[in-house]
Amino acid sequence: MRLLAILCAALAMGAPSTRTGQSPDTVQGKAVPGSLAPALAAARALVDGGRPAEALDQLTALDQADPRVRLLTGVALYHADRRREAIDVLERVRPGLPADSIERREAEQVLGLSLYLEGRFAEAIPWLERTRAVVPDNLEVNFTLGQAYIQTRDAAAARAALAKTFGVPPDSTAANVVTAQLMIRLQMESLAEAELTSALARDPRTPRANYLLGQIALFRGQLDAAVERSKSELALNPSDAMAAYQLGDALLRQNHGDEAIVALQRSLWLNPFYSGPYILLGRAYMKKDQPATAEGMLRQAIEYDPNNRAAHYLLAQLLQQLGRAEEAKEQFAIAEKLSTRGDE
Amino acid sequence: MNAGGVAFAACATVAALALIGAPRADQASAWPVRFVDVSSDAGLTQPITYGDPARKRFIIETNGCGVAMIDLDDDGWVDLVTLNGTQLEPAARRDRAWPSGQAPRIRVYRNERGRFVDATASSGLDRIGWASSVCAGDMDGDGRVDLFITYFGRNVLYRNLGQGRFADVTAKAGLDAGRDRWGSGCSLLDVDRDGDLDLFVANYLSLDLATAPEPGQGANCTWKGLPVNCGPKGLATDTNLLYRNNGDGTFTDVSAASGVSRVTGRYSMTAAAADLDGDGWIDIYVATDSTAAILYRNNHDGTFTDVALPSGAAYNDLGSPQAGMGVALGDVDADGALDILKTHFADDIPALYRNRGRGLFEDIATQAGLAVQNRFVEWGAGLPDLDNDGWMDVFYVTGNVYPEIEAKLPQYPHRSPRIVFRNTGGGHFVDVTASSGPGVTTPQSSRGAAFGDIDGDGDVDVLVMNMNAPPSLLRNDARSGHHWVTVRLEGTRSNRQGIGATVLVTSGGRTQARAVLSQTSYYSVDDLRPSFGLGDATVADRVEVRWPSGGVDVVNAVAADRVVTIRERAP
Repeated sequence: MRLLAILCAALAMGAPSTRTGQSPDTVQGKAVPGSLAPALAAARALVDGGRPAEALDQLTALDQADPRVRLLTGVALYHADRRREAIDVLERVRPGLPADSIERREAEQVLGLSLYLEGRFAEAIPWLERTRAVVPDNLEVNFTLGQAYIQTRDAAAARAALAKTFGVPPDSTAANVVTAQLMIRLQMESLAEAELTSALARDPRTPRANYLLGQIALFRGQLDAAVERSKSELALNPSDAMAAYQLGDALLRQNHGDEAIVALQRSLWLNPFYSGPYILLGRAYMKKDQPATAEGMLRQAIEYDPNNRAAHYLLAQLLQQLGRAEEAKEQFAIAEKLSTRGDE
Repeated sequence: MNAGGVAFAACATVAALALIGAPRADQASAWPVRFVDVSSDAGLTQPITYGDPARKRFIIETNGCGVAMIDLDDDGWVDLVTLNGTQLEPAARRDRAWPSGQAPRIRVYRNERGRFVDATASSGLDRIGWASSVCAGDMDGDGRVDLFITYFGRNVLYRNLGQGRFADVTAKAGLDAGRDRWGSGCSLLDVDRDGDLDLFVANYLSLDLATAPEPGQGANCTWKGLPVNCGPKGLATDTNLLYRNNGDGTFTDVSAASGVSRVTGRYSMTAAAADLDGDGWIDIYVATDSTAAILYRNNHDGTFTDVALPSGAAYNDLGSPQAGMGVALGDVDADGALDILKTHFADDIPALYRNRGRGLFEDIATQAGLAVQNRFVEWGAGLPDLDNDGWMDVFYVTGNVYPEIEAKLPQYPHRSPRIVFRNTGGGHFVDVTASSGPGVTTPQSSRGAAFGDIDGDGDVDVLVMNMNAPPSLLRNDARSGHHWVTVRLEGTRSNRQGIGATVLVTSGGRTQARAVLSQTSYYSVDDLRPSFGLGDATVADRVEVRWPSGGVDVVNAVAADRVVTIRERAP
């Protein structure tokens, strides 16, 4: 939703003519009946105000033959999360809108976003590219395109878009790392691995490349590799709290509790405000049968991150094991509530 | 096999080894288990049909079905049952109309002292459709093992008439739900200790084929950026069912009164029923896809309460829901309590819930060593003691649900190896997949799996359902020299096969627990006679049976390497 607003603003800035610079009763200078204008403006205000369902109610009463009505209907459907219907409406109305008009650009932009959010990435890209042609340096457009290209497994195009997004040269190892980070977010680990391996081949001291390869290894259950990669990152930058945290995670999974505690403690000394190491320390001390220390760690995690499901869940389990059933029940309920919320 | 065939087979094995990595020499040398697929020799050559082999348009084509290894004729040899599915008409949203005699059937293979005879034609197991799971037990008290089979559509109760024949008694038994649902797991259990078997039926989700979205047509219809069939997320959940056995061959739906249908918002799959909290009453554990697992605690009054969350068996060790598919119960640390193994989707690992007693569980999968395999979708699973060393091992089958994606994502192959972990003692596992023989490393897209001894040699063999391929019958050619004992129960106050009983075998100072389950693994049934490895011991010091009636029988000094029958004593 916010992305569309930003893109609208960007398009308005980048477009040769803007909605505000146009007569409300014209589409690219062509006169249309003026009686619709107030109703359309009211519906547009409802959409912009986050009330797309009401806007749709009002739009159904208007002349459905009018392209402005159908365009705004498509936009409202998008905002109402009825994206498949939005795609259908916008695909039909777009060809009838004057070329290079702001209305046509809006149709293409919302169509691209709808297709993207529907997971139809290859179909979304041409429309998002048209939007980028108008606003080539817009961060949001480039970011969305970068993700769409990752989803279609076009690493080079994704890297170019994301390099622009993050302000790094497209042929730099930093571009590889940024692209790999996004690829990992989108669960494209093998693509990310190729980016990172390429970066390290060009410069073995590339920051974060070993860390992210360690993250991939951890995800794959390759614990020895995760430990090695995390240590390699720490060798380049001993003050990297996340690398220390990842090392502790891998060591804990290997049942090397004492070594894990050292790594996690170092992570906390570097950054005491991240809940992750407290949670893992809680687990580590639970396994060492030091429940009081474990409870302290988990409560600290919750203090820094009250919505962390894992922290509440582990604390509940610890309390359950200690026979503090009522307190455990309370923590389980919070964990469950957070779990349910995550599914929504 | 011609020369080309040999070359292909060799290539397939090399590819499989590349998938799973080479074994470490120390592991390979010490592991005596080697599985060989003898399905072709045994006459299991008919493919199991389940949807389009190359592209799964709808989720009903993906889940496959179960198998069973049970002694249907009570001759002491486990027979084989393989469920079957169907297909959709090309580009249509209706089931395929098969030419006469070509429809995929449930197949029965009778075991004649280790030789199998296809007994399908006269079996009477005639329903054609999307079969999901099977659960087995004597539902009418005549001593014979009946079969309940769930479907996307209408479920079926087949009464065992003897001599390899079955009759559909669903309507007569009052088990026709009156409308189509997607039956998934099922389990027979004696809810109220009245001696007969009640019936739990899980439902996966609500799906209307007429309106189901096409692949790629929605947020829950892509995987790794590629369009795939939609669901389960985004599709409506359904509730589960409990039927009380009236003792006269009929059943009454008590889903609401028992509290079973009160649990909502889950995509229920395999259901296993056993006494999981040690109170002597049978509970039900349900693996659920993408949602919190269910542990229905038996409240001793005909009702159940879901206690999965406070028990620690709902989520993984960090409190995250997993895509539960299969369930195995066993005792990985030989502490006399039933632990739970649950299998999941790709990019995840199984959960191994150690039973801490008092109804509490703890997921120890990572620390137990199971986290080293997470690339494959995991399905049917068991905790058989494959080398009979007295420690239960882990075996599960795998197979991706999106056959069309491997062309673009070769790291997620449609066919993948079976996974074997050796229990090195105390519930610590080492991956021995690569050294477990070609029956394990040859990739397949598998779903159900059942465990039992087909040839009476005392080691556990495996029957596996493969998607759109013949089943695998994996003969265990272990050369361990270890001893074993198999326990056949004969209930008197309890149901005849002792379904729901917990059997504890003490040997060498350790006590192992197993349960007699009418469903386990993934939608499947293991041999109803639990088997225990004894290591070097030639005698099981103590065999204790905790019957579903609440009674307990103990037999001391049971000689090894045989099937021992324990009959329930009168009160």
